[in-house]
Amino acid sequence: MTRQFKEILIKNLFALLAFVAVLVLGLIVVFLFREGLPLFRLVSPGQFLFGTAWYPTYDPPEYGIWPLIVGSFTVTLFSCLIAVPLGVLSAVYISEIAPAHLKNVLKSVIELLAGLPSVVLGFFGMVVIAPWLQETFDLPTGLNIVNASLMLAIMAIPTITSISEDALYAVPREFKEASYALGATKFETIARVIVPTALSGISTAVILGMARALGETMVVLMAAGGAAAVPESLFDSVRPMTASIAAEMGEAPFRSGHYHALFATGMVLFGITLAFNLIADAISNRFKEVGSGTL
Amino acid sequence: MNAAAPSTSLKWRYVRQGLFFGVVRLSAFLITATLLLILAYIFMNGFRAISWDFLTLPPTDAMTRGGIMPAIVGTLYLTVGAIAVALPLGVASAVYLTEYARQGLAIRVLRIGVNCLAGVPSVVFGLFGLGLFVVFLRFGSSILAGALTLGILILPTIIGASEEALKAVPQTFREASLALGVSKWRTISRIVLPNALPGILTGSILGIGRAAGETAPIMFTAATFFTAALPRSVFDEVMALPYHIYVLATAGTQIDETRPLQYGTVLVLVALVLGIDLVAILIRSAMRKKKRW
Amino acid sequence: MEKDKIIRAKNVDFYYGSFQALTGVTMAFEKNRVTALIGPSGCGKSTLLRLLNRMNDLIDGARVEGEILFEGRNIYAPEVDPVEIRRRIGMVFQKPNPFPKSIFKNITYAPKLSGVHRKSDLEALVEESLRQAVLWDEVKDILDRSAMTLSGGQQQRLCIARALAMKPDIILMDEPTSALDPISTARIEELIDELKQRYTIIIVTHNMQQAARVSEYTGFFYIGKLIEFGPTEKIFTNPSVKQTEDYITGRFG
Repeated sequence: MTRQFKEILIKNLFALLAFVAVLVLGLIVVFLFREGLPLFRLVSPGQFLFGTAWYPTYDPPEYGIWPLIVGSFTVTLFSCLIAVPLGVLSAVYISEIAPAHLKNVLKSVIELLAGLPSVVLGFFGMVVIAPWLQETFDLPTGLNIVNASLMLAIMAIPTITSISEDALYAVPREFKEASYALGATKFETIARVIVPTALSGISTAVILGMARALGETMVVLMAAGGAAAVPESLFDSVRPMTASIAAEMGEAPFRSGHYHALFATGMVLFGITLAFNLIADAISNRFKEVGSGTL
Repeated sequence: MNAAAPSTSLKWRYVRQGLFFGVVRLSAFLITATLLLILAYIFMNGFRAISWDFLTLPPTDAMTRGGIMPAIVGTLYLTVGAIAVALPLGVASAVYLTEYARQGLAIRVLRIGVNCLAGVPSVVFGLFGLGLFVVFLRFGSSILAGALTLGILILPTIIGASEEALKAVPQTFREASLALGVSKWRTISRIVLPNALPGILTGSILGIGRAAGETAPIMFTAATFFTAALPRSVFDEVMALPYHIYVLATAGTQIDETRPLQYGTVLVLVALVLGIDLVAILIRSAMRKKKRW
Repeated sequence: MEKDKIIRAKNVDFYYGSFQALTGVTMAFEKNRVTALIGPSGCGKSTLLRLLNRMNDLIDGARVEGEILFEGRNIYAPEVDPVEIRRRIGMVFQKPNPFPKSIFKNITYAPKLSGVHRKSDLEALVEESLRQAVLWDEVKDILDRSAMTLSGGQQQRLCIARALAMKPDIILMDEPTSALDPISTARIEELIDELKQRYTIIIVTHNMQQAARVSEYTGFFYIGKLIEFGPTEKIFTNPSVKQTEDYITGRFG
């Protein structure tokens, strides 16, 4: 075996291993479809997506996941209302304002927060936040949108903060110098130069944070209450898609309508998060190509 | 002097700056306080449950007493299995991406693929593991199926961390080696990888932490409510810490009575996962101090 | 004579951490003249320039001793706000650094911060500044376009216009043409000649011909010290210190 041949062999071996990630992504699609598509022999995609009744165990069963979709988006939206300002502002603090020693401490805090297992946050929502909400607001249950959103926000903040911080850090020093040399204060430099320049990176951070919240399972499974109905108030329980899959898969008879419906829900979830990720990818790529970009 | 008198007084500009700095500091403080609060709460409630028996005995009396030893062991097996799957694949992918790949469609596809894989919800990994490993490949609910599923879940983390570590190796190191007539593969294996090793290690440890804490991917692929026996083969089901917490907190018959056990299990899981993360963070900061290039 | 000195350094020492970058620099800059600072890399000329508008404040671990007197007031006195100083003393950098905003917004950035908001005032200011920077004719129809689309030379003139829009007293230029081609460089040099009617200009340059062409006074720096300072003509034709002569004639640096 010549050396050159060996080199080519090694290169191709690495290429092969690298494409396992893409292969897996493809396999995920294949197996979701394989187990999910049979559902559409029972109901139409329209009925499935927009049907408002999720009674998979009734006779006859109803497989409308609209309430689950609404549930997912509701908790995601409210969690982002908390996580986006907190996450982005903290990123600004860490990247631009905090003294060096605090910077490192805060970065570790964010990392540890990211490391908290979601089941722990779900548990915390159940045993701490829920009773408190129930008592304070005199509710029938503390497992509701507010509770789940709060816990989800804690999950989304590390994503938002760390990606935003990277984007802020990447703002060229020259821009900051130009601003200071023109007699701008630190705040004005941050608000008018640094943040606008990092905006596409911050948008990416927000989108990925939302995707994180949307795909999160244990928190919503344990803290959202689990009512499969379109909510009318912030204190209503909801059953996001992820919670529905996790809670019911164990009980769904193998390859029953219910089983297929849960896989089909997984398809929807996968499609939505994939779209979020592709959008984030497109934004961050445009950012890279244009460099400093145009505002 | 020909400067125009400023009509927005500097004082007012500093007031705004002060307000903004206040808000920004408050956010950072809130996040830190949240973390500390959660950790403190878990510790205060959990440490009383921790004992030698708790860590070394299986649950007894329909999981209302006893310990969590099988869950600790199960999590250990699943985590080790996951890293055994993800580490070689992840490092190889990273080597390909940083050392071999040229810009082009293939790379674009690869990057998007890795990014999208990183964004797949954990419960979807669970469904995938169920569809492929448990059902199609007939592994059943088992350590093997769970470890493979978790391995795929942490693959993007390992790729990302390894890539960063490889990129941090100065280009001059590679050039020096290549200029001496050393082949590309030897340059990678003798020069690049050893220098990137601490970074790859850090990333892998973070991946282990992630795998140990995940619940949704193992719910349908590996985890079981209860088994007092330890697994004898990779085709056995196991208990796992995160799943045990979920089960005790939601599905038991005596949820309130087993609260102390729940807190104890949560404390063990948090200590395990954050301990792992902390080790990674410490290794990294020690490495940065030592690095001379 | 004394009244014509707009800014002066008195016994200035400057440290980056434990490294001393400037030692005992004393020099005074004359109003409405161009002063060039020359010397080999690392001699402290840029450091001195950045001390004059307190840009070195942004560096961690930097420390100044001595005084910089601007119109008789020490700008390093504790009650002095660097923001105010930088409004009065503009700066142009080595690499053109327009903001990734429109041409118009680049110019109005500083005036808006100090409270000019009426559209007609801003428009007038933009035109005036761009005319002074001899850029108006090239960009008057594309004011809304991103400044990043301009050529390097145009970007640098935009940065000069942006500094002029604050109506500063002094303009500091840190090797303003080192990233530009010869034609753009010539245009910037012509511009400097125009601007000195109204502004005091202090320019750091690597290029000795440039110093000779544009400046009335030249200071030569070497290893953190001001070696010789005087009229440009004298420095370049009849320097009194041996080191200056060696540098000018190209024997080192």
